[in-house]
Amino acid sequence: MPTITIDGRSIEAAAGAMLLPVAIENGIYIPHYCWHPKLSIDGSCRMCQVEVEGSPKLVIACNMPIRDGLVVRTNTPAVEKARRGVMELLLVNHPLDCPICDKAGECSLQDYSYAYGSRVARTREPRRKLQKRKEIGPRMILDQERCILCRRCVRFCREITGTNELGVFNMGDRSVLDAMDDRPLANDYSICTADICPVGALESKDFHHKLRIWFLKKTESVCPSCSNGCNITVQHYRERVWRLMPRRNDAVNETWMCDHGRLTYQHVNSPDRLRQPLLRRAGQLEPCEWDEALSVVATQLRAVAHAGAAGIGAVASPHLTNEEHYRFAQLLQVLGVTNVDVAVVLGPSDALLIKAEKAANARGARDMGLQPAAGGLGLPAMLEAAASGQIRALYVCGADLWDTADRQLLERALARLECLIVQDIVRTPLAERAHVVLPSLTFAEKAGTFTNVAGRVQRLQLAVTPPDGQLSDGEIFSRLLGLLAEGRPSFEPHAVFEEIAQAVPAYAGLTYERIGPLGHALSAGTAGQASVGGATASV
Amino acid sequence: MATRVVPVVRPRPMRLSWWVSARALLIGFAVTNRHFWRNLWGFIRRKPTVFTVQYPEQRLPFANAFRGMPVLVQMDNGKERCVACGLCEWACPTDCITIFPAETADEIERYPAVFDINMSRCMYCGLCEEACPEEAIVMSQNVEIAAFSRSGTLWHKDDLLVPVAKLEPRLQHLRRGYDR
Repeated sequence: MPTITIDGRSIEAAAGAMLLPVAIENGIYIPHYCWHPKLSIDGSCRMCQVEVEGSPKLVIACNMPIRDGLVVRTNTPAVEKARRGVMELLLVNHPLDCPICDKAGECSLQDYSYAYGSRVARTREPRRKLQKRKEIGPRMILDQERCILCRRCVRFCREITGTNELGVFNMGDRSVLDAMDDRPLANDYSICTADICPVGALESKDFHHKLRIWFLKKTESVCPSCSNGCNITVQHYRERVWRLMPRRNDAVNETWMCDHGRLTYQHVNSPDRLRQPLLRRAGQLEPCEWDEALSVVATQLRAVAHAGAAGIGAVASPHLTNEEHYRFAQLLQVLGVTNVDVAVVLGPSDALLIKAEKAANARGARDMGLQPAAGGLGLPAMLEAAASGQIRALYVCGADLWDTADRQLLERALARLECLIVQDIVRTPLAERAHVVLPSLTFAEKAGTFTNVAGRVQRLQLAVTPPDGQLSDGEIFSRLLGLLAEGRPSFEPHAVFEEIAQAVPAYAGLTYERIGPLGHALSAGTAGQASVGGATASV
Repeated sequence: MATRVVPVVRPRPMRLSWWVSARALLIGFAVTNRHFWRNLWGFIRRKPTVFTVQYPEQRLPFANAFRGMPVLVQMDNGKERCVACGLCEWACPTDCITIFPAETADEIERYPAVFDINMSRCMYCGLCEEACPEEAIVMSQNVEIAAFSRSGTLWHKDDLLVPVAKLEPRLQHLRRGYDR
């Protein structure tokens, strides 16, 4: 391995690597605009110039291959002067939009201008007037004046999505960034261009003029919109989620995230969220206390189970955490229920990130044993049985059943059911038909783990504190377990995960500490087998 | 251990200082007395001789450096100068400012849809004014914020707008102070 010296520190680096990433990995920060770890090298911004011994002029670190004995200095007066020069030229035409720019606060131009910029402009000419607030796609707007022509977005559309919507037109100081005439920036990953834009030229319409970014608090989490499990940060303020941003995880999503996933946070802030359990009285759903709702559920389930556990069907939600699935599986086991399945909405998928299963944790549900046990019925068979009266009570988590099941069959089943328990975050059409509706929480309001489609267990953390008196799905299952069985199990995600590590072979030995911020891949051989408290479920 | 007698030196009665303080006390009484009689004489003659302002009928001008409640600068076209950048909200140590930005088709594309100041929390520190990049929020000379209810101390954007002409002295003072 070649050894190089940066600022007097001797560093070993892989042959063929470029200087800039090596320096950054070793904690020596070199300012840059156009270089991005997941894009090709452009070398257009000239911000990363450093002094290399033996070279007559400064060289750009992003395109400087490592060779043995390279001696680099990143903080000499010459380098400083070059950075000041680059900054002055970049700021010649940059508008003073910082007070109204969504990027202010996380803008590299702003940061470097504090470090290397001049307080006064030496130009007398007016600044370039270009198009502002141009709609270049359904989810993106472009401000051409702010653009510093680093071409990160152009390379993103060329190399990552392959859709080539963006380009830099004209030459020299007339260059402008724009979308092709025939192609708006409408690919499934278009908002990523706002993330990688080092200035506020490309902005997401969803976050446009919403909140200054310095108010946002950041919590590491996992995207709930499909089974790929992209790593994200939930950015929240005043108990509201304002945006989701991708978090780098080279094993899952690199640094990207799809637009659909990015906009899924809206249901968390929905004013229609259920905050109190609903109970059907004289044909009407009326709000009631938790104790009453849970005791009604427990009584109904116990009554049906007495006449035979085959009379109960359970539909698990693929949106819940592993810990909650585990408690649900325990609850069903206490009742002796074998008719259990997961309803998952399927949708379009692509080769990059988007997966067909439109829920984060269907794999985890199956791993925790929420699939038809020996002699149990799967989803279509369960609905048939309900329509013919064999299944009398149905416990449904989430609304995916409504979207996946054959509507006519579902209607017949619902008409025949004696007891329909629905656990969801809003009053869905399915909840309108229920006898008991239990309000639950979204991914941003609880801690736990998701297992993605490739078998990677990843942690999500509590970002938004739910209002007082709201129970998470896990707490609902735990309290029902307390009503139906001896003891009163608490729901601490940390402790429940330890139970999972003991009970489910594929998760053996895992702890939250071992999962860490980037997740832990289950070994391929053990995945898909689950036994909860002794009952083995076959695939 | 043998018992040891420690002689205690007690302070002597402070006769001299007693007389000094008594003298000061009497001088104070004399001043009060003199003012009372002069005031009374002035009142009888309807010509006040002592500095007393009959607030609220009578008011004194404040210096331009005076910091009263913060207000929003209203431009000549009737709109606020504020672009809802949120720096005052961030700078405010008592967290009394609430802003919700919105977009318009105007030249200045961003404006505050909501700009509330909770005056019961404001402590007149002037950090909002100092943080403002647009000279849009300034400290006025108004200190009369009393209200009959809690909600009365919450000032909305329309209550806070003051025409720029009225705030010109303060703006001049600011520009001088910050060398703008």
